[in-house]
Amino acid sequence: MRALLRRELTSLWQSPWQLALVSWLPILSMLALWWLFSAALPRQLPVAWVDLDNSSVSRELGRHVAASPVASPESFTHLDDAIAAMNRAEVYALVVVPVGFSRELMTGGDPTLDVRYNGQFLLVGKLLAANLQLAIADAMKPLAYTKQLAAGASPHQARVNMAPIETQTTALFNRNNNYVGFLVPPVLLALWQLMAMLVFANALNRELADAPETPLSARLVAKFVFYTPLLLAQGLFIHALLFGFLALPVAGSPLWLVPAMLATLLAIFLIVALIFLIMQEAARVVSFCTALFAPAFAFMGVTFPVHDMPAAAQYWRLLMPSSHYIDSHIALVSYGVSGTELLLKLSSFVPFLLLLVPIYALAGRGLRASDMAKVVNEEPAL
Amino acid sequence: MSLLRLILCELKAIVSDKAIAVTLFGGVLFYAVLYPLPYLHQVPTEQALVVVDLDNTSLSRTLVRHADASPKIRVAAGAGSVAEAKMLIASGDFHGLLVIPLGFKRDLLLGKGATLSYGGDASYFLVYSALVEGLVSAGMDAAKSVQLLGLLSRGESFTGATLSLAPMHLNAVPAYNPSLGYIPYVVPGLFLLILHQTLLIGTGILGAGQWGGSGQPGAKGETGESGYWTQVSPLKLLLGRSLAFGLLYLGFGGFYLGWCYHWYGVSVQSSLGQMLLFALPFLLSTLFAGIAASCLFSRRELPTQVMLLASMPILFVSGFVWPLSLIPEPLVLVSKVIPAVPAIFGMLKLNQLGAGFAAVMNEWLILWGLAAVYFVLAFAGLRWRRNRQ
Repeated sequence: MRALLRRELTSLWQSPWQLALVSWLPILSMLALWWLFSAALPRQLPVAWVDLDNSSVSRELGRHVAASPVASPESFTHLDDAIAAMNRAEVYALVVVPVGFSRELMTGGDPTLDVRYNGQFLLVGKLLAANLQLAIADAMKPLAYTKQLAAGASPHQARVNMAPIETQTTALFNRNNNYVGFLVPPVLLALWQLMAMLVFANALNRELADAPETPLSARLVAKFVFYTPLLLAQGLFIHALLFGFLALPVAGSPLWLVPAMLATLLAIFLIVALIFLIMQEAARVVSFCTALFAPAFAFMGVTFPVHDMPAAAQYWRLLMPSSHYIDSHIALVSYGVSGTELLLKLSSFVPFLLLLVPIYALAGRGLRASDMAKVVNEEPAL
Repeated sequence: MSLLRLILCELKAIVSDKAIAVTLFGGVLFYAVLYPLPYLHQVPTEQALVVVDLDNTSLSRTLVRHADASPKIRVAAGAGSVAEAKMLIASGDFHGLLVIPLGFKRDLLLGKGATLSYGGDASYFLVYSALVEGLVSAGMDAAKSVQLLGLLSRGESFTGATLSLAPMHLNAVPAYNPSLGYIPYVVPGLFLLILHQTLLIGTGILGAGQWGGSGQPGAKGETGESGYWTQVSPLKLLLGRSLAFGLLYLGFGGFYLGWCYHWYGVSVQSSLGQMLLFALPFLLSTLFAGIAASCLFSRRELPTQVMLLASMPILFVSGFVWPLSLIPEPLVLVSKVIPAVPAIFGMLKLNQLGAGFAAVMNEWLILWGLAAVYFVLAFAGLRWRRNRQ
């Protein structure tokens, strides 16, 4: 076994790409992805503001919208200019205060305030819609209050009449709707899974180059034993970045996720090994694994909830080790389930062990001789 | 060797190399189905809600029924206390919480006002926003009827009472994607990215296999045209390869932007001519970029790996998932050298926002610039590879 591990070490040392995959490349790309989302809370999003009324009430409304942390109104004189800016995605929403808005309001009419938000940019559009409505409702409050007082209600009564039911909305587990806390962990974990897949695939592809005496199954085990600690270290780097450096809230000790990480790596290895044994050609193995693992992020069910996916997508999701892992991750980070419960969740990985049967059978037959004769060219690429 | 014959050789090499065929034909077809699969239901509905009804009166039960009637919410369980509800939510099967306080109805009837608490699992933003939207509208409904009752009991006329409840009408409507569906949000950009990445991988594997010359199956030998790429000048090879891949990608592009967009109900606002006009520099710049990049590789399994790792950053930096104004400026600037980034944003403006061709002139010119730069790089790369052989 020790000789096999030493063999892995020398082959790792000889391959600059594989060395990059286990060292600087994941760290660099993870930091870059975090940097991309580092704004964390969308704010100061441009909104077109078309004030056709130009009254004290409409200006008051404008000040309320400007005070909202999410919106940053830009004044347009003509509606057409505002629509064109919206079409060019320079502004994400459009508010039109119609002519005579103030007069209608004062004389008991029912003026209409038009808000259009960009639904194509779902994330920004939804956020702006909620915040614009909040800001406008807030601006309207003093008006309704004055109306109530004028009708003869006591100040206290007027307040209660305006809003008999107060509401208090809490974003559980992610208090300030932080996008770093929401999106970055699954993105990094998806990247981690890709890294693990590539590292395992490259390691296995080395076997096509030379054939030592030891049985194939022993070499496969050696590869898993050798690369797992390196990949686990990448996983722990994600934890250090998220919970150490960024200090995202975590309800339990992230160390409880280590068993789940190991199970994920084992599952990835089994899938890659099976594909390798079937394909037995370097580029084909990588292409096929890529086709399989690339869409894993969409199936994790963080951006779009799992129970709203069609059944076919839910089944496909089960094939991806990352979706099992993210369930454990959220259970610990958000819900704070105990370590023992987390260990019980590992049982969802058990079906992956079934892959051992075909792997054992195929490994017993060994690699096809025609492929072993080929020599991987030594030229360090890229 | 004539150009036509070269193109035929290229096409033959592409089709007979299984790694390229898996990526190009398999990948493009497979992803057209697989990527949009999780989002087919478009909007999250019927989120499981836990209700803690401490009041247990006719009014609180009405409120719960109102919440249940919302398409976004399903009242899935009742809990006796907030602690019990917390345990239910931690099980992962429920994502929302509604707490109706003790004395809710009595306080309202006495005119004292009451506070409802909503909670949503913000580990999943779509779930959270669906829950909160549903609960807020249910709560507003209940509040309005209570308000109306109060005003009427104080002797206001019905019309007067309804008027003072809503001094104005707020008409907030989503534009461009009226259903706020997830497929129109993700698919347009994603499909362009898939085309871009598979094209880069395809040219990469083909090039690497030929420069590596390791006698891999498909690269030569099987086709019987071994080494045809050494028999033509670099410029001719560049031309032939671009035309071969270009022909294939005209087909794939037509399939994605035509048939798939239609199938998934993605809006197409531009005319066919405008779309072709915009797609042309995108196709050319990606082709040349792919051929230029292929000169860096000599092992056939590497291009796929590099492009795979680049996919996620390109997806997020192209500005349709996460707004461009929030992405750090240096990243945005650097990302402009990737043809997919200006192309995705330009296509979005052209097809989804209907901004007209003048609005995408900037992106269009960037793509032509990229095509010119990558053409020079591809030519230099091919000549360098040629001289090394």
